[in-house]
Formats: sequence, C-alpha cells, structure tokens
Amino acid sequence: MAQATRSERLNAAAGQQVQRVRDFVDDTEPAALVVVTIIALSLLAAFVGFLAVSNLTALPFALFVAATGYGWVRHQEETALVLTLTMTVSTLLILGLIIVFIFRESVPVLWYESVTVLGVRVPGLRMFIQPNWDAVAPPIRYSMVPMIHGTVMVTLVATAVAGPLGVAAALFLSEIAPAIVREFVKPGVEILAGIPSIVYGFIGFTILSPWASDQFRTTGQGSYLFVGIVVGLMALPTVVSVAEDALSSVPESMKSGSLAVGTTDWQTMTSITLPAAFSGVSAAVLLGVGRAIGETMAATVMLRGVPRLTEPLVNVFYGQETLTSLIARNYGEADGLQMDALFVAGVILFITVLVISIGAQYIEWRMRSKLGGEA
Amino acid sequence: MSDSPQTQPQSQTRTKTTGSDQPLETTSGETVEETRDEWTEYNFDGEAKMVAEDLDVYYGDDHALKSVSMEIPEQSVTALIGPSGCGKSTYLRCLNRMNDRINAANVDGSVQLDGNEIYQDGINLVELRKRVGMVFQSPNPFPKSIRDNIAYGPRKHGDINTGLLARLLGRDDSEAERELVERALKQAALWDEVHDRMDDNALGLSGGQQQRLCIARCLSVDPEVILMDEPASALDPIATAKIEDLIHDLAEEYTVVIVTHNMQQAARISDQTAVFLTGGKLVEYDDTDRIFENPQSQRVEDYISGKFG
Amino acid sequence: MAGATRSPLVEGDTTVTDAVAGATVGLSAMLFALAIAALFERVNLTGTVAGLSTVTLLGGLLIGLGVAVSVFGLGSWFGYVETDPDASAGLIAGLGAAVPWFVVGGGVASQTLGFGTVGGVVGGLFVGGLTFAATAVPREDVGSTVPLGALLVLVGAVFLTGTIGPAWIWNLGWEQQASITAEFLVPTATLFCSLYGGWAAAKAYGRFGARGRHMGAYVLIYVNALSIVAFLFILIAFVVVQGISGLLNGAQVGAGVGPQVFGVVELPVYVPFVMNGVALLNDFQGVLPAIVGTIWLVVGAVLFAVPLGVGAAVFLTEYAERGRFTQIVEVSTNGLWSTPSIVFGLFGFAFLIPRFGNRKSLLAGMLTLGFMLLPLVLITSREAMIAVPDEYRDASAALGVPKWQTIRSVVLPAALPGVVTGVILGVGRIAGETAPILLTMAGGTFVPGGQTVDVIGGFEFTAAPPFVANPELLQATSALPYQLYALITAGVGLGSNVTDPDGFRWATALVLLVVVLSFYAIGIGARYYFRQRLRHE
Ligand SMILES: Nc1ncnc2c1ncn2[C@@H]1O[C@H](COP(=O)(O)OP(=O)(O)OP(=O)(O)O)[C@@H](O)[C@H]1O
Ligand SMILES: [Mg+2]
Repeated sequence: MAQATRSERLNAAAGQQVQRVRDFVDDTEPAALVVVTIIALSLLAAFVGFLAVSNLTALPFALFVAATGYGWVRHQEETALVLTLTMTVSTLLILGLIIVFIFRESVPVLWYESVTVLGVRVPGLRMFIQPNWDAVAPPIRYSMVPMIHGTVMVTLVATAVAGPLGVAAALFLSEIAPAIVREFVKPGVEILAGIPSIVYGFIGFTILSPWASDQFRTTGQGSYLFVGIVVGLMALPTVVSVAEDALSSVPESMKSGSLAVGTTDWQTMTSITLPAAFSGVSAAVLLGVGRAIGETMAATVMLRGVPRLTEPLVNVFYGQETLTSLIARNYGEADGLQMDALFVAGVILFITVLVISIGAQYIEWRMRSKLGGEA
Repeated sequence: MSDSPQTQPQSQTRTKTTGSDQPLETTSGETVEETRDEWTEYNFDGEAKMVAEDLDVYYGDDHALKSVSMEIPEQSVTALIGPSGCGKSTYLRCLNRMNDRINAANVDGSVQLDGNEIYQDGINLVELRKRVGMVFQSPNPFPKSIRDNIAYGPRKHGDINTGLLARLLGRDDSEAERELVERALKQAALWDEVHDRMDDNALGLSGGQQQRLCIARCLSVDPEVILMDEPASALDPIATAKIEDLIHDLAEEYTVVIVTHNMQQAARISDQTAVFLTGGKLVEYDDTDRIFENPQSQRVEDYISGKFG
Repeated sequence: MAGATRSPLVEGDTTVTDAVAGATVGLSAMLFALAIAALFERVNLTGTVAGLSTVTLLGGLLIGLGVAVSVFGLGSWFGYVETDPDASAGLIAGLGAAVPWFVVGGGVASQTLGFGTVGGVVGGLFVGGLTFAATAVPREDVGSTVPLGALLVLVGAVFLTGTIGPAWIWNLGWEQQASITAEFLVPTATLFCSLYGGWAAAKAYGRFGARGRHMGAYVLIYVNALSIVAFLFILIAFVVVQGISGLLNGAQVGAGVGPQVFGVVELPVYVPFVMNGVALLNDFQGVLPAIVGTIWLVVGAVLFAVPLGVGAAVFLTEYAERGRFTQIVEVSTNGLWSTPSIVFGLFGFAFLIPRFGNRKSLLAGMLTLGFMLLPLVLITSREAMIAVPDEYRDASAALGVPKWQTIRSVVLPAALPGVVTGVILGVGRIAGETAPILLTMAGGTFVPGGQTVDVIGGFEFTAAPPFVANPELLQATSALPYQLYALITAGVGLGSNVTDPDGFRWATALVLLVVVLSFYAIGIGARYYFRQRLRHE
C-alpha cells in the first residue's frame, strides 16, 4: 500500500485541489464569491475575444475592470487572491501562447518541405537534409542547414570565449577580489550585460568587420569568428553572474576546512570550491550558451546575410547567416512560405534554448539539494 | 597528566600584563590576589609552543576578545573553557590565522609560534596552517569520498602522489596513502566503522562520524599544534572516551589546544586550563588541578560550580 | 609521519632571485601590452618602437623572456635557486604546454615540410606529445619552465630572423579565400607567448610548489579580470569619443535658446540632436522621435509587466503551496527569461499584429517588450519576497490581520527595494532591445519631428466598440535601438539626409547607450542606497 501508483497520486493531488477550491467557496461570503466569479469570467471572455480578434473584446474587459474595482473596495481579500492567481496563470499562458503561435505559423512550410521516407511522409525533413536555401528561383527551397551551421559556429566560438573567461572572472569575484574591488567590478559586469546588442553590433560592423576582412584578406566582410567573439563577450556577464552565485553558495566552512590543512587559496578553489559548485558553474556556461544562440542584432549587422554554408565548413573567416539573423533580416520582404520558414527558425531557437534552460535549472536544482543539507 | 611538568611550578617565571592591569609579580600572594579579577599568569616548566600577547579581536565594532595574553606549553593539552559566546573559538582561530577569512574580523596584538611572530608580513600562511592544524566546531567534511577527505592534505602538499599522471609515471604512492589514511582513521577511532566503505561520500556519515573524520583529516597532515573546537560535542560516550584517549596520546608529541563545554572532560584530559568569561576576557589560566580545586577568582569558581555562565 | 615537507614559516627578505623573477613577470606584462597595441594597430608592425623595428623588438623580448624563464627552472633544478617544487607540473600544465607546441609542430609539418593536413596532424601530435612528456615527467621546476621557455625562444627567433616578417602571409587555400597574415599572427602569437611566459615566471616567483601554482594562476586570473574591466571602459569611452561631436553638433547654451516646454518655459540649453526630428529645412537633424518612442515603449512595457509580475510573485510566494504548480511556474518563467528576444518578436508578429489593425504599432511593441520584461520582474520580485523573514508575516498574522492586508502592509513594503531594483535593471535590458521591436513596431529610418508620438494626446472616443481609440498607439514609431539598426543597414544612402552620416550614427549609439546605462546606474544606485539604509537600521 506504500506503493501508490502514479495515477492514484495524481488523483489524490487533484482531489486536494478540489478540496481547496471547495474550502474557499465555503469560507467566502456569497457576495464576494459572485464578484470574484464575475472577475474571472469577464477576464476569460476578454481573452477569448482577443484571441478571436473580435471588436467586442473591450466590453468584457471593461466589465473586468469594473468588477475588479468594485471587488477591491468591497471584498479586497478575495479579489486580491483571485487577481494574483489570474496573473500567475497569465504568465503561464504567455509561454503557452508563444508555443502555439510560433508553431502554428511554421506548419505550412513544414508540409511543403516534407519528404517521404519508407512510405511515411515526414514533414519538414527536407529543411534539414539538403543545404539549399532559395526563396526566389524554382525549385524554391527553405533549408535550415546553413543557418544551423552558422549558429553552431558562432556559439562554439562564443562559448570558447565566454566559458573560460567567465568562470575565471567569477572565481575572481567570489573568491579572490577584496571587498572593495568586488563592490566596483560586480556592477561593472552588470553594466556590461546592459550594453545594447545593437551597440555591440554597430561597433563590430564599423570597426571589427573591416579590420578582420583586412587582416585575413577575405572577400567582403563578415566572419563567424568575430561574430562569435562579440557574442561571446555579450554572453560573458551571464556566465559570470550565474557562476559567481554558484561559487558563493559553497559553504564557507568547506573552504575554511581546506585552508586549515594548509592549502593555498588556489588549491582550495580547484579542489574544493569548483568541484562542489561544478553543476552550478556548468549551468552558468549552459545559460551563456543559450544567450549566445539567441543573440540577434550583432549577428544580423555583422554577417553577410547569404544563407549558404561556408566553404570549407570550418572556414570561420566567412560568416553567412544564423537562425536569428535570418529572421531579423528577412521578416520585411518575406511573406507566405518564406515567412513561415522564418518561424521554423524561431521554433528551432525556442526549443533549443528552452531545453538548455530547463537543463541548467535541473543541474542547479541538483546542486542545491546536494549542498543544501550541509550549508 | 603524567607528562606535564607541574612539579616545579616556580622554575620559570614569566610576567605578563593583562589589559590595563598592573604587572603581576607573583602568583602566590593570596591577599593581593583576592582583589584581582584576572589570574592569567601561568608558570610552567619547559618551552612555550605558542605565545599570545595582548590579543584583541574586533568584529566590526564588537570587541570580542580583550587583551588576551597566554602561553601555551609544548607537548601538553591546554583546555579553554567558558560560557557560550565568550570568544573561545575566536581565540582559537587567531592561533592559525583563520580569522583572516572573516572580513569583519580585526586582530590586534601578537601571536608567536616557536618564537616566530605569525602576525607579520611575509608569514607563510600555508606553512603556518600545516603546523597548526584545526578541528572546527561543526564538522565540515568535503563533499568527497572518505579516503579523499583524509588524503586531501598530504596530496595537496605533494607528500603523496596519486592520480592518473602519477600512475603513468610510476610514482604512484597509493600504498603509502592507504597506510596514512588507515593510521589517521584509527587514531580518530573511526577506522572500524568506515574501513569497508572508503569510497563513499563523507557527507553520508553521521554527525559524530563526520567529526571524527575531521579529526583524522587534521592528523593526516601531521601538524605540530592541534586546535580542537569542541571535538566531542556530537559524540556518544564511547567515541568521546576514544577521542579523549587520543588527545591524551597526542600530547606526547603534539601540542593540543581544546575548547570544551564539558568541565569533567577538561578536568580529565588537560594539563592546564584557561577560563574565558563573558566579554572576551581571559580570567584565569593555571594548572587544571588548581583551576578545578582551588580557583583564585570568585567568578571562575562560580562558573565552574555552575552558579554562573 | 608522512615525511611531510617543511618550509620556513617566515619568508626572508626579498632576494635578488625574487627581484629577477618579478622583473620577468613585468617583462611579460610589457609584451602583453605591446601585443594588444599591435593587434589593434596602435603600434605599427612595419614601423619601429624605441628605435628598433617592431617585429625585431618583439622577437628580442620574447627570446629574453624565454631565456629568463628557462634559466629559473634550470637554476632551481641545479640548486642555485632555493625553491620548493612538486614532483611534476601536472596534467593540466602538460596539456597547456602541449597545445602551442601542437600548433607549431603541425604548422611546420604541414606547411614548411609540405606533408599536408594529415602529416600536419601527425607532426603536431608528435611534437605536442613530446612537450607533454617534457612538461609532466621532470620535476615541476624544469617541467613548467623549459618547454615554455623553448617555445618563447623559438617564436622570438622566428620573428628576429625574419622567417615571419611583417610581409609574411599564408593563404589557407580555401574555396572562400582567407589568409593568415603577419599582422594577425605576430601580435596573437606574442599575446599567447606573453601569457605563458608570465604564468611560468609567476610560478618561479612563488618558488614553484603549491605557492608557485597559486601565483601562476592568480596572475592569469587578475589579467582576465583587469581585461574585462578595461574592455568595459574602452567600449564606453570609445562610443563617447566617437559620438560626442555628433551629439553636440549645433548645441547652444544660453537663456532662451532651447525649445519651449509645457508651452511656457524656454530651456537654457539647445541640443538639436536630441531635441529635433529630421526635416528638410532643419539646420541640425536629430532623433527626438526615437527617444520619445523609446520612453513610451518602456512605460508601456512596465505598465504591463510590473503589475502582472509582482502579482504572480505574490501569489506564488504568499498564497500557493510549494509544489508541482509553483515548480512548473518557476521552470516556465526561467524558460521565458532565456527565450531569445527575436522569438518574442516573432510571437508579437504572429499574435499581436493581426489583433491591432494588421500593422506594426507602438502598442504591439510595448506588449512584446512587456512579455520579455515579465519573467525578470517575476523572478526578482519573488526573490525579494522570499527574502522577507517569516517573522514579519507571523507577527502580523498573530495580530489577526487578514492575509492580503499582511501582504500589503508588511511583505510588499519590505520587498519593495528588491522589486524596484529588479524592475529598473530589467527596464535597462529591454530599453536596448532591437530584435523584438524590429518585427512589431519599427518605423522609418529618419522620422520627422512632427511624427513624435503623443500617446496622452492621442486618446479619442469612438461611437463603435471598442469606444476608445488611440491612433498614436496603433501607429508605427521609431525607437533608439531600432533607429540605430536602420541607420546601419541604410548604408551609404544616408548622405542625402544628414551631412555627416557617421557622426549621426555614432551619436545615436551614444544616446542609446546613455539612456540604457542611466537605467542601470539608477538601478545599481538604488540597490546601494537600500542596502546602506538597511545597514543603518
Ligand atoms: N564571524 C563573526 N562575525 C561577527 N561576530 C562574530 C563572528 N564570530 C563570532 N562573533 C562574535 O564574537 C563573540 C565570540 O564568539 P566565539 O565564536 O568566539 O564564541 P565561543 O566562545 O566560541 O562560543 P561557543 O561556546 O558558543 O562556541 C560572540 O559575541 C560572537 O557574536
Ligand atoms: Mg565556539
């Protein structure tokens, strides 16, 4: 009987929720209940109206505002509860809407690019198995391969920059820097995170790209190497601040324990602090990778904007297009299938980064539960 | 207590100032002493291993240790007792400069190890802490295997080479390491409980086992002075007895300074006892027998007899 | 007894050896600086520095550094220098030394000896393997100095003999042409060599052993931290220097020179760049519409995201029981936080645009940025509320105060500093975002001053639902980041509109930077202020 099945547990949990709702209904006076119901229903109606692109959306919304105002004055406790609950649900809803809408828009081109394998029609497969993007001359092809290649190249270079430098800087901030220095460098890192990407892109475009083209004698401007470096510098603050949090969460008693047997600070860092914070530090690097993948503007203004593979594939001195820059560059002219293809790029980005984010959170969660008992 | 030089207390007289008090000329003038509050002069035979002079510690504005002067005889057990929060741990941390880790802490005064001032520029902190080992108040094992915990110090000091490279180069000291780990664990009375699970994570041990693990970790680097902050606070009577035996044995070779809240324990194992009282003052320091049987200060007597804490 | 090593407790005074080792570290710092200067063409490779041709000087210094480092290792090995080395420099040092030698070996085998790619890899592995052995097998003092010293001497000799001179070039022979030039290779090689040399010299300064490693590592970490700080300063200074002339173009100070505000007061300063739009007859063109657009964008996003985010945080922290639901919300908000901004743009494009009259509009931009801001507000507010001690809540609840009243009068005020700081920093982030508004709001490249949005004046009432309309909200307008993007992509065509297109661009970048960084300055200042106040309470 200790082994409750999954569905039993779920049922029990659902039962609990029902019980809570019932308690709430029982404990609340009827007038308040009515107001709260009106608030919830009117907001729901407004949302449905908005989804349906209806001109009447404003009506339920006005009702919602009125009911909320009334409830706030007369039944503040209940109104506050329901309002904050709807706000929480809205947050979830936004994520849900993002998923629904960007997937929905990408469906037509997925059908267009489907391939029959062993009698089974696989939608979108051709976007990943042939490297041609041609939106003008038949055969019209929307391949994601060049952009995926570009994103991978840029991300690799960026990680090589942001990973080691970021972790070293985090070590400096959390373990080495005197309090005074930390007081100044930490906001500095924050400000670094705040410099708009278009400013980086602008400097890259006007200074770095011509310089690189001259240094490497390339034809024209734009290289994955330098986009990667710039994007890496942009991802650096993310790595630094998350890794620093992880390093500082290693209990001081562990570090003192190591120092007390006569090790140097550096030995303590490499043998105790870093291993103990390893998952947190990897999560930091992962999040940095996520930032690098999603970085748009610097890539858009620094790359060439020709969706094709570099020749040879490892030629980092040429930069064609990434998933992000494809969207930013083409949304204007694109319509129909081409626009949908941009949404496919968006879906790839979204899923990749979401997976990375969830992975990083899982790693961090594991680290916290490992150290948590001792801290 | 057999090895402590208490038989000729007058053979070596040291004078000391305590705070703003006047220098004490002797420890035997009973009538003079009745009016005094601090009885910190201690005459002993043999060499002093560590000497603290006019040690003040501030945590920000909080004056946690007030002008403590104290000599710790070598190859003996010195007990520090006193009510909670009176600065025992603070004092202990001064002796191997672990207070450096606390940003708010400010240490003023002098501490010498074998005549070398440890609060001077150019002191080699690593070397100091190799010589003055420490067992912390709450157990702090590393999140590593039991073996790695014990072998940590010797490995980091380069006394023992293990790992991939050492194996490749044929310099593997695994055998020496095994012996060293076993000896340290046996000394700390932990070997029997863990010898068959040396590769388990040390965080999986019980609190008392962790405490003994930390003692073993400290012994494995073979320090000259061992500072122990309530090493038996989480132990059952049997383990406590083993640790007390260990401390007793250690005093043959090492200098042991131990903080304890257990008066009987202090009486059992120590050669001399220092009593700190609230406010961070060292109030009385003398042979353990004298402290427990015939304390000079009224406040110490009250504290020992449980009237005040 | 483990035969424990003992070194002196107190270090002696600085010896000649220390001084020489310190000077060697200084030499590598100098090389580092020279390499950076050469990389950014502050020092000309074909020119001269201090009377010597640059490449010769670099080569000579590298050789000097290499020799000094090796001499230290050998001196320690033969017992002339008192050190405390470990038995081996270790795996990581071995790998670290093997990498540059792998490159050298591979380059020589494939290019100089003409063995091709495979031969290059084999040669590289061979030389790298040898280096690894030479580093890891001997005692630490020799292992961590001699292989690196030899590398430095080799590279120095290559420069000195002119094997790689200023005109050297290596065509990679790829289909898309690219070459490695001396302009790139010489400074980069010097840069890495100086880091290796500095590391080895610092180890020697620390007399090898644990302390030596500590020193070596700290030198690299300090260089890294300093570089990051320097990078930040140079970046900001560069934008300021480039942009300031464009920004102050035509600026005047004096009573009554400025435009009227609120219809009465005349500002005593006139900076046309931030007070004008673009018009044919303007003496000086400006970006006022974009500034106003950015401000409205931020206001809209904050109005949308802050109540929503704070409310959700209240529910999650105060009402909801920790469990599956809060976990899901947490994972989703973190996921939302890391979602690329361009994806928000796509979403706004697909979701909002059709619902706001099928065209790009200010409102769509506001909401899109609001979606981006929301997770950040939620996360920081939540952290701030969790940090409020439970005693506060209990004390209030014990007095019989209902839950929401407790939240309102106890939790929210206590969490306010954290929330405010988080919001301001978040606003800084979205104010500089280009990608989302690109797809949802973007207006023209040059916006006439007359098109400056006036949201408040734009409200009007209509007879048909939805009864309230605001054409200003539903129109495309510009914002600073977008404007900068448009200026970049407009390329040469700019010249017909403004006299100095480059100055105009840089000035736009500067204004954008100033706007965004002032949010950060306020946010960081607020946090500092709140912390100080907390400390004094
Ligand atoms: N890290 C610190 N920061 C600020 N104050 C401290 C710190 N550590 C100790 N103190 C203060 O210094 C005083 C002495 O503390 P200490 O830990 O030395 O006491 P103790 O005698 O060891 O007590 P216990 O027997 O409870 O361990 C206390 O008032 C304490 O509040
Ligand atoms: Mg204590």
